[in-house]
Amino acid sequence: MSGFEYVRADDLDSAVALVSGDPGAAYLAGGTTQLDLVLKDRVVHPSRLVDIGRLPLRGTTLDGDRLRVGALTAMEELAADPVLAARLPFVREALLAGASTQLRNMATIGGNLLQRTRCRYFRDPDVPACNKRAPGSGCAAVTGAARMHAILGASANCVALHASDLCVPLTALDAQVHVQGVDGRRVVPLTRFYVLPGDRPDVENVLAHGEVVTHVDLPLLPAGTASGYLKVRDRASYEFALTSAAAALLVVDGTVERARVALGGVGTVPWRAVEAEAVLVGAPASVETFRAAAEAAIHDPFTVPGTEFKVELAKRTVVRVLSTVSGVRS
Amino acid sequence: MSGGLVGLPLDRVDGPVKVTGAARYPSDVSLPGQAHAALVRSTVGAGRISRIDTSAALAAPGVLAVITHENAPELADAPPTALGPPPRFPLADDRIVHFGQHIAVVVAGTPQRAAEATRLVEVEYERVEPVLGLDNPSAAVERNAWGVEVDHGDAEGALATAEVVHDETFTTAAETNNPLGLFATVAQWRDGGLVVHDSTQWPMMARRTLAGVFGLAERDVRVLVPYLGGGFGAGLRTWAHTILAALAARVVDRPVKLVLTRPQMFTSVGHRAESRQRLRIGATADGRLLAIDHDSVAALGAEEANFSAIVMGTAHAYDCANVATHDRQVRLNIPNPGFLRAPGHAEANFAVESALDELAHRLRVDPVELRLRNHADAHPRSGLPWSSNALRECYRVGAERFGWYDRDPEPRSTRDGDRLVGYGMAGVTFGWYAAACEATLSITTAGTAVLRSAATDVGTGTYTVSAQLTAELLGLGVDQVRVEIGDSDLPPAPQSGGSGLAAALSGAVQAAADNLVRAFLDLVADDGESPLRGRGPDEVGAADGGLHLLADPGTGEKYADVLARHGLDVLTAHGEVEFTEAARTSGLAAAGAFAAHFVEVHVDEDLGVLRVARVVSVVDGGRILNAKTARSQVVGGVVMGIGMALFEDTVFDADTGRVANATFGDYLVPVNADVPDIDVTFVGGPDRFSPTGVKGIGEVGLVGVAAAVANAVHHATGRRIRDLPITIDKML
Repeated sequence: MSGFEYVRADDLDSAVALVSGDPGAAYLAGGTTQLDLVLKDRVVHPSRLVDIGRLPLRGTTLDGDRLRVGALTAMEELAADPVLAARLPFVREALLAGASTQLRNMATIGGNLLQRTRCRYFRDPDVPACNKRAPGSGCAAVTGAARMHAILGASANCVALHASDLCVPLTALDAQVHVQGVDGRRVVPLTRFYVLPGDRPDVENVLAHGEVVTHVDLPLLPAGTASGYLKVRDRASYEFALTSAAAALLVVDGTVERARVALGGVGTVPWRAVEAEAVLVGAPASVETFRAAAEAAIHDPFTVPGTEFKVELAKRTVVRVLSTVSGVRS
Repeated sequence: MSGGLVGLPLDRVDGPVKVTGAARYPSDVSLPGQAHAALVRSTVGAGRISRIDTSAALAAPGVLAVITHENAPELADAPPTALGPPPRFPLADDRIVHFGQHIAVVVAGTPQRAAEATRLVEVEYERVEPVLGLDNPSAAVERNAWGVEVDHGDAEGALATAEVVHDETFTTAAETNNPLGLFATVAQWRDGGLVVHDSTQWPMMARRTLAGVFGLAERDVRVLVPYLGGGFGAGLRTWAHTILAALAARVVDRPVKLVLTRPQMFTSVGHRAESRQRLRIGATADGRLLAIDHDSVAALGAEEANFSAIVMGTAHAYDCANVATHDRQVRLNIPNPGFLRAPGHAEANFAVESALDELAHRLRVDPVELRLRNHADAHPRSGLPWSSNALRECYRVGAERFGWYDRDPEPRSTRDGDRLVGYGMAGVTFGWYAAACEATLSITTAGTAVLRSAATDVGTGTYTVSAQLTAELLGLGVDQVRVEIGDSDLPPAPQSGGSGLAAALSGAVQAAADNLVRAFLDLVADDGESPLRGRGPDEVGAADGGLHLLADPGTGEKYADVLARHGLDVLTAHGEVEFTEAARTSGLAAAGAFAAHFVEVHVDEDLGVLRVARVVSVVDGGRILNAKTARSQVVGGVVMGIGMALFEDTVFDADTGRVANATFGDYLVPVNADVPDIDVTFVGGPDRFSPTGVKGIGEVGLVGVAAAVANAVHHATGRRIRDLPITIDKML
């Protein structure tokens, strides 16, 4: 029987050593993605699962102008954090737009960053062609049922979406990801944490095997900054985004002084829209500016039949979130 | 008669056992020594298995057997049922007719070991190009396979001369039955017979099928399903997995349990077939229907049958002299469709009720008024008076409760803040169906009654409504009635399907109650100690646990006293009801339920986001047995209608026919946040054809909702969506 060994880690160092020393090992945290992949979908076959769920990497601390979030903090727990609610409202909105309460009570922040794509071609072992699952095998998704797939960072090699809501405002914020491996600790900005699929869709982030996310630092928004997260989906709740956008704006006397914009539902990775930010900063806060920013945000999309609508929908999502955040509706 | 119980909104009598976990659903059944089966499924859409190697699976720990087409014992063909030929048996040969077809069964000591070993079965295929897509020119087409096409008057001629002709094409998506209860079978061979716990809505059919397949007498097969976690029509056939579980139990000579996974539900128990319908309507300038020509194409499995004619109800809905319907089914390499709540009716109604809305808009006639102008005062085909018909009342009450006439008919005229607001409505004429049914009623010395029938409660309230009816007829409290159903050894009953069980079972219960009263009167006919001696059934009523004289309610005696005096433990009477003969001689057109749905939608036009804000449903369901379970039935139907309108879409990969969204994360059904206030009202009264006045209401709540939503979308936005589901990409 193939099966896997289950190990509950006593401390972080031994967990890291255990996984690093075993190419077949993987971490188990909240389990909301990992157990689906291993036990239900049967597309990931670790020989050993190292459960870090009880390690003391849970909770938040306010450290100057940043909120430090333990990687094992549950989504629901973070959403209830008073500092987050007061100083990072769009992160809270994104958290509460994701999954369901039951899942958010189990799912961790580190796990959210590291969640695997929901692509049903990746998650179904009966589909042979998946470059993410079996490098070099092709991509059945590009010719398949496509509406949930990515249009940015995508190619004929892979259109798998990074479906996180949380990562959208975190990417806009320049959250810093703290990582520990056998060779020590390092800090990776979330904007450089993910790797575009290119011709290696199986490589999703910069983590070496055995490296674990220990916590994430969220810079608090400067005073006067307004923020918001908008998620567009068919169902009113409990569905991944077709498109989403997070924005933080500081508008002074009708002019955008600072802008952060990121997109969800469209990228193979959480998508920072620096081009949109460049359009916004220094421009009057107007719907025309917002539309120009949206046009800049969505450039060179890769669409397949079934995802074309996302190009325009994503732009409208950006315009709407900027309008809502700034209070400028016309 | 004590009366007063039928119709009350009583809580479900089976509620406590369900919420405490004591109710045993098929997947809860566990027998001593049972083994577990798991299914291996085809990963090609068409072709044949060129090699199947089970050695690794057989060598895996705990594996007892692997059954494939190479070693499966030969089985007889299953007999046809009232709903058509049986599903194809997938291990009969090496051929593959759809992606996901069962190709092997692994039996092991635990479900985990069985599931794990399925991965070790090595299969090679000779693949051929699967035939997929409704328009595929190489697909075989069945025309009028069920003989339900209608050709009345001269539809073509009337269309050619009508002042107004409306000609549009509508499509509806494939939708999968997703009862929360995964379909499960636990099969046990005992003394040469077979006992099967199975997720079925029709124990008698399952018994007959299993007896036929395994060459047994029907009395040697017993099918049990005391509780079922929903079915929505999926349980109206005995699918291959049930037969495979029984086969596995025979092979390993142990009880075998098989529980389908959620993804397997999408390929194993049928679905609502995708349809494309061309609808042509001819009318006068003031909106009187002159002609309807309704042509439908629906998907069908490559080698199977599905008694689900889309256009079956079209000819009976409105007063229209010239009607032609055309029913085609296209053979594709997909899992065979089956029945999903209001099969055919729901799809056809979407086209007809959308088209009527288009006609109303075009002619500047109010949509309700247009329907009233074309109301069928008598049955449109036979000309016979309806056995009941409160459809006008449905429109009137619905419009009033909804505030329909506040509506500015101009599209895009109404806003709520930034959102466009739309009102839409649709009417429903549902078909009558009920089949012969039997039941027994017993009264014991404790003075309590037991009702027995091989019917099922799919979760809709059969236990409750039949306890209520029995209690009322026999003058007992509801808690003095025990209902035993879900067992094929009990008196034969039809399926819980076609909105037909409530009328059928109620008829049998009423007949049994009449017979039981007669039996008591017979018992005391010469009983000098009985105040009821010599009395006939017309002279007595039932109340307080016994019978009394109608003319002198103080004179009577309790059932228990009669039994005790006569040294009996129990008195039992049989009852049955049959509808075919009555249908021929009643001089009435037997009517099913009628309904009108009124829907308000809010549209965020820029983002294409559509939400249903309000639903008012008014239903003529004949005599209502329990106002609470009846309302729940309609509410559940409306929720599924919202699913049909906005979300549900079983997607088949264009190249393989694999279901691309076979999980609850990918296949969307409405969640609570999608379901607004649903206002349900019942109108009308007891039906004149149904012996108990009962008409079925299991499906009518769903039918019409999709059209009402689409019509509301048109009113809100000016956009007419003729392609379900109405998703954001279609709204942009």
